[in-house]
Amino acid sequence: MTEVLLVASARPQFGVLAESVRKFKAQGARVRLAGTFHLEPVAEEVSALGLAEAHQLPRGLSHRSQALRRRASKSPRGLRVWMQSQRDSWLRGRARKADVLVALDPDAVYTVWRLAQYNRGAEAKFGLAAGLKAVETLTAGDGGSARRPTASVLPPLPMVARDVRRSVESLPATLLRTATARPVMRSGVGARLWRTAVTAPGMPVKVRAATSRYVSEGMRWAGRTSGAALALTQAAGKIPDLALKAELLDEAVMQEVSKGIRPRHLDKATATQLAYADAEFAAGRLDTAAKALNRALFLGFHRVLHIDQLSSPLADDAEGFVAPFHRSKVMRAVGRPQGRRVPAAPAPTDRPLRLLIMTSANDNFLRLVQQHYADHPGVELRFLDLAASKHYKRAAWAATRMLQDRLAEGTSDYQEEVERLMRPHLDWADTVFLEWAAGPASMLTTIDPGDARIVVRLHSYEAFTRWPHQTDFSRIDDLVFVAPHVRDLTTSLVPQLRGERAPRLHVLHNAMDLSGFARPKSPEARFNLGLVGLSQVAKDPKWAVRVLEQVRKHDERYRLLLVGGDMNRKTSQATREYRRDFEAELAPLVESGAVVRVGPTDDVPAELASIGTILSSSVREGCHVGVMEGAASGAVPVVRDWPFYAGKANGARTLYPGDWVVGSPEEAAERILKTTSTEEAWRQAGQRAAEHALTEWDWPMVRKHFDQLFLSNG
Amino acid sequence: MSPSPQSRPSAEGTRPHAIYLAIGFPPAAKSSAYRMRETANQFINAGWDVTVVTIARDSWERDSGIDLSLLDQVDPRVEVVELPLAREDLETDIRLFDEARALNPNGWINALRRRQQKAFPEPNFGEWRGDLEDAVLRIHRERPADLLLATCVPYVNLAAAWKLWEEARVPYAVDFRDGWSIDVVEGVEAFSPDSEEGRWEEKILRHAVSLWVVNDPIAEHYRKRYPDFADRVHVVRNGYDADSSPGRLHAPDPEAGLVFGYLGTVNFSTQHLQTVLNAWRAAREKEPLLANARFELRGHIGAGASREANGHSEILKQAEADGVFFQGPAAKAEVSSIYARWDAMVLILIGGRYVTSGKVYEYMATGLPIVSAHAVEHDASNVLKGHPLWTGAVGVDEAGLTESFVRAAHMAVETTDEMHAEAMAHADRFTREALMSVAVKNLVEDLTSRRGSSTTGGSPS
Repeated sequence: MTEVLLVASARPQFGVLAESVRKFKAQGARVRLAGTFHLEPVAEEVSALGLAEAHQLPRGLSHRSQALRRRASKSPRGLRVWMQSQRDSWLRGRARKADVLVALDPDAVYTVWRLAQYNRGAEAKFGLAAGLKAVETLTAGDGGSARRPTASVLPPLPMVARDVRRSVESLPATLLRTATARPVMRSGVGARLWRTAVTAPGMPVKVRAATSRYVSEGMRWAGRTSGAALALTQAAGKIPDLALKAELLDEAVMQEVSKGIRPRHLDKATATQLAYADAEFAAGRLDTAAKALNRALFLGFHRVLHIDQLSSPLADDAEGFVAPFHRSKVMRAVGRPQGRRVPAAPAPTDRPLRLLIMTSANDNFLRLVQQHYADHPGVELRFLDLAASKHYKRAAWAATRMLQDRLAEGTSDYQEEVERLMRPHLDWADTVFLEWAAGPASMLTTIDPGDARIVVRLHSYEAFTRWPHQTDFSRIDDLVFVAPHVRDLTTSLVPQLRGERAPRLHVLHNAMDLSGFARPKSPEARFNLGLVGLSQVAKDPKWAVRVLEQVRKHDERYRLLLVGGDMNRKTSQATREYRRDFEAELAPLVESGAVVRVGPTDDVPAELASIGTILSSSVREGCHVGVMEGAASGAVPVVRDWPFYAGKANGARTLYPGDWVVGSPEEAAERILKTTSTEEAWRQAGQRAAEHALTEWDWPMVRKHFDQLFLSNG
Repeated sequence: MSPSPQSRPSAEGTRPHAIYLAIGFPPAAKSSAYRMRETANQFINAGWDVTVVTIARDSWERDSGIDLSLLDQVDPRVEVVELPLAREDLETDIRLFDEARALNPNGWINALRRRQQKAFPEPNFGEWRGDLEDAVLRIHRERPADLLLATCVPYVNLAAAWKLWEEARVPYAVDFRDGWSIDVVEGVEAFSPDSEEGRWEEKILRHAVSLWVVNDPIAEHYRKRYPDFADRVHVVRNGYDADSSPGRLHAPDPEAGLVFGYLGTVNFSTQHLQTVLNAWRAAREKEPLLANARFELRGHIGAGASREANGHSEILKQAEADGVFFQGPAAKAEVSSIYARWDAMVLILIGGRYVTSGKVYEYMATGLPIVSAHAVEHDASNVLKGHPLWTGAVGVDEAGLTESFVRAAHMAVETTDEMHAEAMAHADRFTREALMSVAVKNLVEDLTSRRGSSTTGGSPS
């Protein structure tokens, strides 16, 4: 089968295209179309073409950096199309496998030209007639799968080797791309040669930067992600100009991050961005300083590093990780406590408390709190979802503008915008309860709260983000955590929380109604291990499979029930990879019946009725609600000593009764086999767990703590 | 100044030798290929040896394609030299593009055209000058030439003719077909006498043995522009190839649906095409005889990257619902059988009084009704005048053309065999063979008489 990839930057003439696709197919070709034009309005025409696939390439550069957009606006249209398309993994994958690449219009030619550099075996043609002719020739060659003999179009490796250090400066871009093509970069020698070439002495800065980008691109296409990053890092090492150096290191880190890999030179990249930010700050160029700091924070706290992995640099050495940030002058300026002009007014005694509950989209843990205060005679409740309005949403996550405002000491237009949006709410409210200490917390603390009391709740994931580092906690009165270990981690990360103007810190359990979970369990449930919630890498369901394997060595009646939706592959490459491995591991177990995929459910109590042992396999948690609910249902809790916190003052072992927590799958199996050895033992252990859960975490208990927080004046 | 043929006469007992610069010679599937083929053949018939200079056949792949059946009628004694030249602007292999071209294909071509004109004032072809000059000098060294005939386009051929004249005083003649200094489509002067092109044309024509053009209006233009040269300007009409004629009487089948046809390069504007198709649609709605009729178009559309993928192709594709079908180029060998399937011809032509086209002769020879979709004042009208099955020229006008289609449908089914025979006879005087044999004979005579008047004398025939 001959693979044909058509690339179009403008809406093609569908009649002609349909006719050509028919001819391609008649010659046994499979045809795909990738377009930067808007496919959706012509979906009908596209589907009538009979293509194997049609793919929408990015239609613009709106999600890319301002610098890139600026560069694009000055570039030829062909280059703009390539800038839009080059990172599209669908395009790259299909281009690599194509036998014939066809540009349908002049602005698509450069994209095909570039794709052809990385697939040296493919024909690259301009126009449908030329494409058809190429397929005809290939088909006549050897039944449709013939390709250019790759060896004959390879750049001569000896030429590359011969004094490449000297020649690289004068190599034109075309030759560079040829010499950095995929087959060369796939060979260890080629890749090494080029990496060393970018560090050749005496090379002009611009040439070095451009060369390293070509080399990096070639390596990326050859599947050498780390090599691609290294080429940029090594070139950056020879570049004295801070801005360019920071840019290259940033690109290097992003190469790896986008592949779900923890970058090897993250520290260099963030340090350089910080140094650049400091230099710009010192020179009074606040906007560029803020942008560089934004990149440093973006890279340093990228979710691939901390959220989508089974470990995080923050788990290993939190203070050490954030120290370079807080040492920088620009970060110290951002972190300077502004304080509040007047203290928060005491709760009123002559009228109900005006309570504003705020979140941005996620209100998963607010339901009971809202219900309680909506019906409370002593409270007048308002609710604000920032995600419901684009104005609030835009302001709530405008990281760079927040930094610019901090550096400009509150004189930016961002300040005015937040005033306009938030002041009416602050004027009304006696107390603001902000759920999640993320972007909205940073936004809210941009302005003085007046005499409103500000209460913010930090669950867990926020500690692994940039947001606490650009939130002014001196304008927050109370910071609520859901568990002591999260409090410990956060205070170790954020200097403001250790200072004199730190807010009061509280630990309040999540609001959970556990009363409805106590449902009768059948005797068979004894052998059912359950995991509720597996939508994030941090839930590490593979650990649960290890536990299952251990117990099944002793008794094959044990099964694992997986309750909840799957991880979203689109979250990140790291997530995609974890899920792929997990699925591969799971497939035979599901087939044999050892694992049952229950999937998402609205009725967790009903599912828990058939679960005898509730597992927490996570590498980190704030408080694992699924385990608490499981315990309340009478399932025996078996909790992994969450590795992020294991060995620290607080963690799973201090949050739960000690005998629930295990250090390894073997220990987990041991506890399961022991507690479920007989039906009676199992039911007794479950009963004890349910009692503990209801006494400690049920809403009637936790509610008192909330009332105390909001309604007592002291 | 009159031509002074000082080249050596052909050796005793050997045939005289003509170098024929004919870029577009078979197997190039160009409309000019027929004229070129016939010209070469007629020289052979007149007792000459002919060396045709054209470009590599592969190069036509990116232009109008090739038609190997065109070679069948080329006299085997014609020698063909194919130069490794190609139109760079039509390249479709992106691997051969440098980065600048890939980034901005159209801008790159514009720059290329400017560059090409530095060698000779003709876009797309100017840079071929050196290769063509070298080629004719080499051929002349190997086998001395008695005459060089340059047919244009491309006009860069003139530089090679001039070179051989300058270096070896080989007399030359020019077949301009449509003329250079006249824009035949717009009917205006294409360039002024003092432009670079103007100086080239004047210089070349001053020394040429003869100039051929395809119709009287063009001949008039040249006679007026170069009065001293008026007697050397000759009209050599295109005519048609007898073997392209279906050669049988017409038998329409309205039950199965009448078939109207167009055969030729699609070189008219999309607007022109759209008007014809609108008229066709209206006629089908109006005339029961046309309700199930088809309109088939055969020929080349576009070149390079836009080959069969331009606005015309799209318009034709969209018109399929109206019984319009574009079926690609036709090989020369198929032409007569294609005409034999058709019941009426649609003559779509650009330009006006300076354009005749080759199609009109071939269309006439079919003996089928002809719908004229071209300007009223057009040289094709002069040729068609008196044709019994011609609907007349109504201009490129939708309402007028609608009526023409209706009239042609009736002609197709209502006319007698005698009328068809009469229509075919109308074309008899225009067979290409007859026209070209006279033209070549006259040229040879011109050359002879001029030679006879020179000191070195000698008859080439």
